[in-house]
Amino acid sequence: MSRENDAQVPAVTEMPPPPPERFVCTPPIDIFDNGEGLVLRADLPGVSGETLELQVQDNKLTLFGRVAQQAPDEARLIHQEYRVGDYLRSFILSEDVAHDRISAKLLNGVLEVTLPRAPQTEPRRIQVKTQ
Amino acid sequence: MAVFRWGSPLEAFRDMEREMDRVLRTVNQAFEGLRVGRPYPPVNVYELPSEYLLTAELPGVRTEDLELSVVNGQLVLRGQRVEPNDPPPERYRRNERPHGQWERSIPLPERVQEEQMSAEFINGVLTVHLPKTPSAQPRQIPISETNS
Repeated sequence: MSRENDAQVPAVTEMPPPPPERFVCTPPIDIFDNGEGLVLRADLPGVSGETLELQVQDNKLTLFGRVAQQAPDEARLIHQEYRVGDYLRSFILSEDVAHDRISAKLLNGVLEVTLPRAPQTEPRRIQVKTQ
Repeated sequence: MAVFRWGSPLEAFRDMEREMDRVLRTVNQAFEGLRVGRPYPPVNVYELPSEYLLTAELPGVRTEDLELSVVNGQLVLRGQRVEPNDPPPERYRRNERPHGQWERSIPLPERVQEEQMSAEFINGVLTVHLPKTPSAQPRQIPISETNS
């Protein structure tokens, strides 16, 4: 994870737990093969680099983005066509993804994760000894 | 679903109606959350004492591909989403994010200072500030009484 952690500060205080009534939605994604591996793009409008968490555990890639409030507290909603909520989605990675080389960038509310393919192990001929 | 009933021959239609309702509800639930047949981009409007705020989620749109104008009291949003290094369709494993051009006009609430409008585009969220005019106080209209 890219978040820098101060050694003295316990990790728990890093981010307050979200209030239970927060709305969580599933972001739309694209996945395509760029020849060297897979590229994943997800629409996360309102999420900044500081509020995005991307985590790989075992074979599961989880993205969680917290959205910034889009209007001040005293604003009164008079017309609503979409709901503002945090984004959560997870994916099972296949075996041939090089986990240690996963990289990600966030631009204009779109997250792009590059999942490079691990080099295939060369088939090795085993010499059979004959007597 | 009952096949045959004594007494009321119309009961079968009611069963069918119920069944159709159930199917339609399932279809509606499946499309919930998808932006099909809805105006794009979706906007929210907020009211503050001094201004209106209009927000729209436009992830992946570059600022140079976004155009805002005011025409005949309508706020016109126009833009496009182009994908960087767009791969050919056969390379897609999953495709849920539409791209292309879009345009939407939204009638402005009256008494907005059009020349004072401003907008910002941060992390894929567009916010348009629509300041109210100072004369936007409610005005009482006298009603004359005539007895016929």
